Amino acid sequence: MRFYGHLAVKSLVLAVIFVILQIATASAQTDLVTDTENCLFCHRYPNMGRYDKSGNKRIYYVNEKLFASSVHGKLKCKSCHAGLDQIPHTNVKKVDCSSSCHIKEPSTGKEFSHSNMVDKFQASVHGAGTGGNAKRHPEDLPNCKYCHDNPMYRVPDGVWGQSNALINETLARCMGCHTSSHWAERFYSHFTHRMRKRRSQEEIVALCTSCHEDQEKMARHGLESIGTYKDTFHWIQVQYGVKDAPDCISCHIPVGYAAHDIRPRTDRISPINMDNRVKTCSNQGGVQSCHPGATTQFATGRVHAYGMKAQLLASQNQANFVEDENISLVIERAEKDLSKAELFNYKILKLVKLFYKILIAFVIGGMLVHQLLDYMASRRHLKSG
Amino acid sequence: MIKQRLFSRSKVDAKSDGHRYFVRLNFNERVQHMIFLICFIVLAITGFMLKLPEDIVQKFGNAKDIVFFYRGILHRIAGTIMILVSLYHVFYLLFTQAGRRWLQDMLPKFKDLTDMIGTMLYYLRVKEKHPEYDRFYYKQKLEYGALIAGATLMSLTGLLLWTEEMWPKFLLDIANIVHGMEAILACLAIMVWHMYEVHLRPRKFPIDNLWLTGVIEEEELREEFPLHYQKIMEDPELQKVYLVPEHEDGDTSLRV
Repeated sequence: MRFYGHLAVKSLVLAVIFVILQIATASAQTDLVTDTENCLFCHRYPNMGRYDKSGNKRIYYVNEKLFASSVHGKLKCKSCHAGLDQIPHTNVKKVDCSSSCHIKEPSTGKEFSHSNMVDKFQASVHGAGTGGNAKRHPEDLPNCKYCHDNPMYRVPDGVWGQSNALINETLARCMGCHTSSHWAERFYSHFTHRMRKRRSQEEIVALCTSCHEDQEKMARHGLESIGTYKDTFHWIQVQYGVKDAPDCISCHIPVGYAAHDIRPRTDRISPINMDNRVKTCSNQGGVQSCHPGATTQFATGRVHAYGMKAQLLASQNQANFVEDENISLVIERAEKDLSKAELFNYKILKLVKLFYKILIAFVIGGMLVHQLLDYMASRRHLKSG
Repeated sequence: MIKQRLFSRSKVDAKSDGHRYFVRLNFNERVQHMIFLICFIVLAITGFMLKLPEDIVQKFGNAKDIVFFYRGILHRIAGTIMILVSLYHVFYLLFTQAGRRWLQDMLPKFKDLTDMIGTMLYYLRVKEKHPEYDRFYYKQKLEYGALIAGATLMSLTGLLLWTEEMWPKFLLDIANIVHGMEAILACLAIMVWHMYEVHLRPRKFPIDNLWLTGVIEEEELREEFPLHYQKIMEDPELQKVYLVPEHEDGDTSLRV
């Protein structure tokens, strides 16, 4: 009994020391973020995680330093992660970006929420559709997190040069009055974050093509694979890393348009609608004026190469026999999207290409034979002296 | 024996051996050829850089945007020079005596067709000898015609693409295809037709120096272009034009 009592006291002491140490280190590390909920008590351990039912590793570790310098670094965990009231967390809800997060939006004084964006997004080509217009295969559609991670605030470069010069020269002025350096830096970053492109052109193309190059997935929605972009001079420039080379959003979200509000090209407010093309190609009012002298004739032409839609329409006799539901969906959309003039152009371009292929084969093939005969005859001639 | 003849045809060696030389390309024509040749190579390299596979483009590393910038500039400079040389060539053909003679000799005639058939029969061993050619024979005329057609098309489509904002996109799409395919055709033609003619052909290997010296040996001219040779020999006026005057040092190459 004495023995057991001794052990109990000993372990109690150890446990108390352990907890005190834990709290001490935890509070020492929570300087950067306002962790009043003390989530980092557990979540600061790098190995924290589990394998879910489908075998994917879920990481629950939160790197305090990285989180603190992210755009959401000032938020409490529970602002986004609802249902964390008990441990272990059994009632966790999925993060809903349209919920309000108990931060006052300074221009209106109301609670902050991304719901504006989410509503627009749902009505756009990428949204699940509103009212009776629900999309087929909603599982294919991107959610907020597909494009947005929790980005870090970074020094703005590219607009005014590549160095820290801007931050050195301007932030110091702000801090003359706004003396809390932590606050001033965040406020400053909040603005300058929007003044640079977060992703390079190649990264943008990679992001969009991660879905749009999947022919099967696209066909489920009556779309064609966007490999057609890679046949353009625009893409060659992106490949060579040319500054301001046009990626997907340069034309599909030019100045004056919003990423969350992408509409089909038949929509009047789409930048690639024929009525808006001149403005889109010239990108008036943008940082980069691409084709300042674009005429209507120039701007209303085909930008991507012709793809599956034109192919299917051009050979529609055969397509009638296709029973694939997706293919017929693509044809249905193609009939709406491709005008007769465009289909005619497609056929002409195909003919020109075919003409050249035949010409090259004929001329070069013929000449090869001719030269071979000449070679043999010359050798014969030389041999006979 | 063949090997000996293949490798021992340097004109430099044969300069002072008492052979007579005839002009094939005069100095003006050689300069035109040289400029055109340099432009062609620059245009081909800078043009086909647009068709490089992605992984090779990545090999340019951080300098790839600078490479791309100079690629575009060089392509336009070389293109402009090529157009100017082509225009000069038209002027040369019409307004100089040598040019007019060139044009006259280059125009296709009915004899070219019979020559072509005759040569084919010779190749196929039906005939013992190939037909006797004049100054230019059918293959050279075809090549020259192809050059004119190609240069015209490339210049036109190139200018269209250069001034893209002024034209309907459909026209540019056609121009783009024509410019690209014509470039493939031209490069292949140069490789298969022209390279063979001046590099690989027996007795010409490794290179025919004619593009630099501009002259051809009497024996070779008599053998390859007998009608032309005959005409020169019969006409003292033509001899003044084509026969290279002999000098004591025997060095004729730089004076024509």
